[in-house]
Amino acid sequence: MSSDAELVARATSGDVVAFSVLSRRYRDKYTRFAVRMVGSRDEAEDVLQSAFIRAYRALGSCRDPSRFGAWLYQIVANECRTYVVRQARRERRLVRDEHVLYSAAISSSGVDSRDTLEDVQYALGQLDAVHREAFVMKYVEELSYEEMAEITGANTSALKMRVKRACARLRELLEEVHDV
Amino acid sequence: MSEIEREGDEEFAERMGRVLRASETFGDTFEEDLVRAIRADRQIDQPPPRRPTPLTPVWWRTPAIVRISPAVGLALAASLVVAASLGTLGVALKSYQRTGMVVAERVHDTVHVVRFVFVGKVNSVSLVGDFNGWGAMAMPLVASGSGETWVVNVPLPRGRHEYAFVVDGKRWVADPFGMSNTDDFNTESSIIAVGS
Repeated sequence: MSSDAELVARATSGDVVAFSVLSRRYRDKYTRFAVRMVGSRDEAEDVLQSAFIRAYRALGSCRDPSRFGAWLYQIVANECRTYVVRQARRERRLVRDEHVLYSAAISSSGVDSRDTLEDVQYALGQLDAVHREAFVMKYVEELSYEEMAEITGANTSALKMRVKRACARLRELLEEVHDV
Repeated sequence: MSEIEREGDEEFAERMGRVLRASETFGDTFEEDLVRAIRADRQIDQPPPRRPTPLTPVWWRTPAIVRISPAVGLALAASLVVAASLGTLGVALKSYQRTGMVVAERVHDTVHVVRFVFVGKVNSVSLVGDFNGWGAMAMPLVASGSGETWVVNVPLPRGRHEYAFVVDGKRWVADPFGMSNTDDFNTESSIIAVGS
């Protein structure tokens, strides 16, 4: 099996198939992250495609091809964050009261929603991009703060604060749901 | 006090994490779509096109001697159809054998494949535009069906593009149904807005 560095070298010289092998090697690892960040599988697939295309175009700037996976993770995280920010702007134009929408969605389910993936995902979707990202990296992808710092460029203190705030907000949201 | 309120922060976060750790996968065509999108992306990364200047001895400024009756000309114009639309992969809008059409496929968020269709009794058709440097032979259309329907699929980035058809290697034909633009040399081309 070719190493990441070998495949990166081939892809950099224009071998798209080599890049597709890298994609196959890493995309499952980043699929869940993208879905949790973006909120839907279809949109996550588009976002991941865009991220991988950006990665292909930027291969020349991958300084350490043996750590291609970590480099790719940065691009995926950036793409997801950008998407979430844009999505939030769009939704703010359409829905002024997200809490009303959220409560309505939960109420309409007619079942005890505690702990269901759909509801936790929905609550997660109410967090802003950086808090959502921090929570997903820490508690879903189970990264260390050092790994998170490398990917996001933020320092560990800031990341801990983001995670703490994300937890607090998630807790508030889910408590509200259970009170509905 | 609710159960959530009784939980510690770490316990609560771990529980949410467990729920969210459910696996997610995409379809088997992910890499196939990716390779296709990258190839399309590379095509649009060619050097910025320029319209030929009057001093450039290019084919399309050569006066074309084409004898065509008004009726045939009208029929040809009416049969020339080009359109563009956004859509998801493989969504056919109409049957172009009858009406002319374009299927646009979204390759990724900034690249779309636009199908240009020319219908007419001609020997050859090429597509020229700002996306291929106005090169007459850059994008030949391929005849299909009865031989009167000519088609080419072109990956285009989001934005405004100018284009025209070159019929039989020398005649410049703009889309009669699209927005048109006439340049300083009185040459008419058409405008397509991709992604708007």
